[in-house]
Parts: sequence; C-alpha cells; structure tokens
Amino acid sequence: MASVLTGALGLWQVAGAVQRAEDGWIVAVDGATLRIVPRAPHGWLIVRGAETLGEHAGLPGLLRHLRQELAPHAQAGRLIIGAQSL
Amino acid sequence: MSALPVSVITGFLGSGKTTLLSRLLRDPAFERTAVIINEFGAVGLDHLLVESSDEQILTLEGGCVCCTVRGDLVRTAGDLLARRAAGSITPFERIVIETSGLADPAPIVHALMTDRDIAEALRLEALIATVDAVTGAATLDAHPQSVKQAALADCIVLTKSDLADPQANGLAARLQALNPAAPKLIAVHGALDARRLFDSHARHDAALYETPSHHHHGGINTFCLRREKPLHAATLSLFLQLVAEHCGAKLLRLKGLVDVVESPGRPAVIHGVQHVFHPPAWLDAWPDDEPSTRIVVISQGLDAQWMGDVLEVLDDEVKACSIS
Repeated sequence: MASVLTGALGLWQVAGAVQRAEDGWIVAVDGATLRIVPRAPHGWLIVRGAETLGEHAGLPGLLRHLRQELAPHAQAGRLIIGAQSL
Repeated sequence: MSALPVSVITGFLGSGKTTLLSRLLRDPAFERTAVIINEFGAVGLDHLLVESSDEQILTLEGGCVCCTVRGDLVRTAGDLLARRAAGSITPFERIVIETSGLADPAPIVHALMTDRDIAEALRLEALIATVDAVTGAATLDAHPQSVKQAALADCIVLTKSDLADPQANGLAARLQALNPAAPKLIAVHGALDARRLFDSHARHDAALYETPSHHHHGGINTFCLRREKPLHAATLSLFLQLVAEHCGAKLLRLKGLVDVVESPGRPAVIHGVQHVFHPPAWLDAWPDDEPSTRIVVISQGLDAQWMGDVLEVLDDEVKACSIS
C-alpha cells in the first residue's frame, strides 16, 4: 500500500513522503499530514488530526479523495468506453 | 447495418505514407476505398500523388487533423457516409485516413471511437504507422511525435527497406521494444500484402503480448504486467477507471489478455488509447498454452511496479467485498 500511495503522489507531481504508522500509513505533503487507516472488513479512513475526512470502500475512492486534498491542481481523467467492439 | 471499417495511416514526414496508400489503392481488393488526406502545408500536394478517382479522395487542409481540423474530419467522414447511403458516390467499403506527418494519432482515434455522429457507423480497423528504414532511427531520436506514432500503432510498416535493412541497422528491434504488440511489416517500394495491414487491430496472437523487458526510449517506456492468478471482472473495471483517472495522457496505450475469474478459459481482450477504451472482447479460448494475464503498457513514464501494486490491492479489495 505504501508503494501505491507513493506512486500516486508522483503521478500528481506532489513532493511528499509515505510512512508506515501503527494503525495504517501517514502521508505527509508540504505541511499537511493525513493518516490512512484500514477499516475492517474492507475500506479506508482518511484522518487529519482527530477529524475523519472521509471513509471509502476501496482504493479508487481513497486515491480520488487524496488527490483532491493534496493535489487539487492535478488533472483528473475519465475512462471512456468507445462504441466499437474490437 | 454493419459498421464500415476505417483505418488511419500515420507516420512522420517523408516516411512513406502516401506511397503506401497509393500502392494499396492499386490493389484490386482495396479499390473500393474512400480516402481522406490531411495536408498540413498551405498547398496540399499529397492527394495529387495518390492515384485514384477524384471523388474517392477528400482533403483536409489548413491544419493538422489531430488538433485544428478534427471537427472537419468528423464532418467529412459523416458526409462520406451520407453520400454513400444516398447513392451519390461510388460505393466504397472502407475509409482510409492519411494524417499529416506531424499528427498525434490519439485524438483521431478517440474521435473515431467516440464521436456520436460517426462512432456507430464506423469501426476502427487499424492504426498503421510508417517508419522510414533509412532515417527512422534519427527521426525517433529527434521527434517525439514519431515515437508516439509508432507507440500507438496497431501495425508498423517499415518503408524504404530497399535502401536500408531495418533488421541490420537495429531499427526493427527498437520498434519491437517500443511497441511489442504491433506486427512489423516490411514494405519494398511501398508494396506489401495489404490484407496483413488491416487485420492487425483485431489480432490477439499471444506473441503480440510478449515484451521481454522494461524498455525506455525518448521518455516512453514499455512494460508488461503479468499475473498468474485470475482477476475478478470488477477488478479489471476498477483498474481501468483508476488508471484513466490518475495517469491521464501519460498512458499512451494499453493492450492485454486478461484471465477473468468469472470467465474461466475465455480471456478478455482489453485495448485502449490513452483514456479511451474499446469495450472488452472475449475470446473463445486462450491463443497459447499460457493462460495468464498479460497487459502491455506503453506510457510516458508510468511505473510498472505501481500499476502492478494497484492491480493487487484492487483485487484484494474486490475479493474481500465478495467474501464479506
């Protein structure tokens, strides 16, 4: 998971660090520190200090929320499925 | 009504697109072909070099088809289809678009796949890139557009092989490393078996998904994600959405055979250019004796390890959802 978060920061062109914490991971970017906490049985919490910023069922929601928090300038693409079959 | 095949011939300036097209149109099997030529210069000449009836050739002038005249392309293709339906033009069975030498083919492919006015009437048959065997290596070094053209192609045609041997000078190996999923055809004086050009988009030979190692060239890297265990269909869908959302234009092309849990023995074929994908196709059987997922990615600097890790995390999550 640390490599996924680190790679995402790189894609968003954000300088930051990801560390393992007791209850999950800490993402530190330019003074902002967020905790990513696994939620049983599956899913993720995004926590800043004592405040829970979001709760996500899976990685897509987690990364989307992190991008909005940490890299609002980063462009978000959208999958398009064409009309033609292969 | 079945969709009409449309192919795009791209390639850097002077790489032999017009010669190839001209030879193709002389082949009796392709005489019922309408041609759209994008001329970038102030005075278009290429259409004069293609031997065919005038009504079959339309030119798009005043800019490059990938940017300024994309709307013109859609309109022109739409007009051609309307005239064909009305019987006011010699019936044709295929459209070939020749881009300008500086064009980025991705927006053209996107327009053909998604534009509501033409996408259902046309079927993208092949994106063909010409690469000059004499100057191709230097062009790849100097012009990023040429690397992108070769990287996105379904099929690469090595031209001017009578003047230089692309095997001997290393160009063929370089193109193989850049775009392993595209067959490489060698044209001699512009001639080759045209049928081999146009079946490349739909080919699913396992050999086309082989890439021996991670390859970097001119800011473009090529790698293959391999996975022994089958993926859940939901994982595949989430993976493509996530990649399209976060990788943006860094993803040039993704093509793969995917072993899907819900479809044992029948692999899914996925194929996308940047964030635009075809609906997955399903094969009746594996094309080789290696029933495992292979996804070839051509990108501008994406990390193979990151993509593989994302796939693993997503599949673990989908599995956990299925169980809980």
